[in-house]
Amino acid sequence: MVDLKNVSVTYSNGVDALNNVDLKINDGEFVFVVGSSGAGKSTLIKLMLKEVNPTKGEILVNGFNLNKTKRGKIPKLRRTIGVVFQDFRLIPNMTVYDNVAFVLRVIDAPKKYIRSRVPYVISLVGLKDKVKCHPEELSGGEQQRVALARALVNDPAIIIADEPTGNVDPELSFQIVQLLRDINKCGTTVLMVTHEQELVEHFGGRTIVLNQGAIVFDKILEGADEN
Amino acid sequence: MKISSMKYLLGQGIKNVWTNRIMSFASFCVLLVSLLLVGFFVLFTANVNRFISGIENKNEVIIYLNDNVTDEQIEKMGNDLKSIDNISEVVFFSKEEAFEKMKSQYENADELFAYFKDSPLPDSYKIKVGDISKMSQTQMKITALDNSDEKLIYQIKAPNDFANILIELKSTMTLISTAVVVALVVVCMVIISNATRSSVFARRKEINIMKYVGATNTFIRVPFFIEGMITGALAGGAATLLTWFAYDSFIDVLSKEMTLWNALGIKEFIPFDSVVLEVTLCYVAAGAFLGAIGSVISTRKHLKV
Repeated sequence: MVDLKNVSVTYSNGVDALNNVDLKINDGEFVFVVGSSGAGKSTLIKLMLKEVNPTKGEILVNGFNLNKTKRGKIPKLRRTIGVVFQDFRLIPNMTVYDNVAFVLRVIDAPKKYIRSRVPYVISLVGLKDKVKCHPEELSGGEQQRVALARALVNDPAIIIADEPTGNVDPELSFQIVQLLRDINKCGTTVLMVTHEQELVEHFGGRTIVLNQGAIVFDKILEGADEN
Repeated sequence: MKISSMKYLLGQGIKNVWTNRIMSFASFCVLLVSLLLVGFFVLFTANVNRFISGIENKNEVIIYLNDNVTDEQIEKMGNDLKSIDNISEVVFFSKEEAFEKMKSQYENADELFAYFKDSPLPDSYKIKVGDISKMSQTQMKITALDNSDEKLIYQIKAPNDFANILIELKSTMTLISTAVVVALVVVCMVIISNATRSSVFARRKEINIMKYVGATNTFIRVPFFIEGMITGALAGGAATLLTWFAYDSFIDVLSKEMTLWNALGIKEFIPFDSVVLEVTLCYVAAGAFLGAIGSVISTRKHLKV
């Protein structure tokens, strides 16, 4: 669960990135966050990952009160969140398998569990045949699916997808969002940041619109694809 | 951290040396040059110190004894001299031996020497001082031996000027070599830190990703630490081989003029074989330490995500 109470963020250069934001995302929800450049979408993600601290207000993420979470506890918080980035951010010298397995190695997961869990998650995103490939050998869409597998492998409480379709062609964009929807159906909360109106209109669901650091719209939209 | 995780991180560190071979090679070269610079200077200093010690060992204090001294008193004085801690060698030189030596030095003066039935020269003790910087204290201790009413010592002849010059030379050499080694180490540290920093900078995104998936700083640092350590140790090994080859070749060239060096008081240069273990250990340990610490420090900046 994510709960932001009256949160504001002002950067050291004086820019107000978020102004008095109140936001609650319950477990199992699928939320689109939409907004133009500079609306505060990235700051919202950075806040949830405790990459930046709020200037004002209180933040709760997956049971962590981020106002009180010390630096040493940040890794534990991040292990409850799966993150997917627009630029995939895969480790270039690791294979698909190792990129995904890395998350489990970080948490000291047993070898046996890694050996069974990683191929399973890779097959879920449809890359069974690419386990030994390096990121540079994959297309943009495939790389993004690896990133999804990495976000998913640790069975996180929430997946944050920051413009996951920004670097893939439109057809693959729909596939990736569909994959996120499927993950959400299994109970994982998904927060997807996007600027692609078409995707939001197609899939529908709870949609939050940010403008100049404030939430200006927060409603459940009816999607074209009601499945 | 579990043993399996440690094994994984160790494996990653070893693998990364090859995966990032261009940056590893750059760090290796920087470490190698740095180690060679310091190593060669230390070997040079060790040889100079040996040369100074060789000169120092040539110091000789002569204690001339009075004519009326008995054999018992001479023997007692010899024992007393040996008990003084800074005296490394005590040799008795009788008046007869001294006279014979004098005769051999002046072969054309037989007529002059014929006037003397007995040796006109005094008995003496020739001693060597261990630490030349304590020359005056040692002299005072020798003088203090002659405390009876009947004076045994006629004169003490000590190379005080020689001792002072040597002391000055030694302290100047120590100062210069320490300053140069410190300066070289500082310069090398700066160069090494820049090399490792650029190596880590090239992989800042990798570190960033690791942070986002919840890796602790230790988990991220261990492979960098191992990678730096291996690169450094390899540079240390290569530095040993290069030093060995270069030093031996250089000594071979210098040894061709050994008579000249002998005249200057240098009996032999330090053979590399006699210090190979120390040099190898120092090179490998210093290389591994600098490589590991340099890598870990360089990651610090990128861990603040």
